[in-house]
Amino acid sequence: MILWLLLLLASGPVPKTHTVEIRGMEFHPAELTVTVGDTVVWINHDIVPHTATASTSIKWDTGQLTQDQTGRYLARKAGVAHYVCALHPTMKGTLVIRKE
Amino acid sequence: MSAFHRLAALALPFTLTAALHAQATPAGPAPASAPDLSDPEVAHVAVTANSIDIDLAKFAQTRSHNAAVKQFAATMITDHSAVNTQAAALAKKLGVTPADNAVSQSLQSGAAQARKSLEPLSGAAFDRAYIAREVAYHQAVLDAIDKVLIPTTENAELKKLLEDVRPAVATHLEHAKQLHTQLAAPAKTGQ
Repeated sequence: MILWLLLLLASGPVPKTHTVEIRGMEFHPAELTVTVGDTVVWINHDIVPHTATASTSIKWDTGQLTQDQTGRYLARKAGVAHYVCALHPTMKGTLVIRKE
Repeated sequence: MSAFHRLAALALPFTLTAALHAQATPAGPAPASAPDLSDPEVAHVAVTANSIDIDLAKFAQTRSHNAAVKQFAATMITDHSAVNTQAAALAKKLGVTPADNAVSQSLQSGAAQARKSLEPLSGAAFDRAYIAREVAYHQAVLDAIDKVLIPTTENAELKKLLEDVRPAVATHLEHAKQLHTQLAAPAKTGQ
């Protein structure tokens, strides 16, 4: 039992899953802070399709998400990523990825 | 009588915008004489209005060589198709079968006029004219949604659809305005 607890503590924090809702042609929240190892899930509530696309040093692309579809990104690298909807470039979001 | 009649108000801004595609000034608040259309006819008007922008976007994709303009056109096709799908689904749910009518024909006539004015253009001139038309078109639609449709619609489902569509139209307008500004810049240095 003690050994199991020690292993659990040594393994570090449990990765979390964060949700960004896309509604009204906006990302909610527009800025999100996560930790390396966490997963971010975008869910599109709008009628029109969207993407969450980052093309800086940290890259990902959910591809087109139709209404109620989700896309996800596993944060592997620390940094600040600014992303957009590739279909609607006026839609912007920021993902801050902290090292742990 | 039916909330679907409110959609008829879209017809005049669309027609005016199509006819005066280069003008950014919309027709203003509620048209004084909304056409007296049946529900099936109004449903047809709504679908036609989306289809017009889809068709023009398809034309723009074949004519433009500007990556940003082509992307904008692709988004118009994708988004207006999605809205059309929702509008058609709602019409079906409410038991409305779209029927061709004079307003739809007028919209199509206005669209043909817009297409005709774009036809001889190419390169940067085409891009500017197409995007200017898109700015005016979406501004007119937005005005119709804000000033006529949402405030007066009583049917809850139709009202929600309008409220859901409204941010997309506003985003299209903002996108088109940004492109319009970008396209204006090289034109000054090129001539």
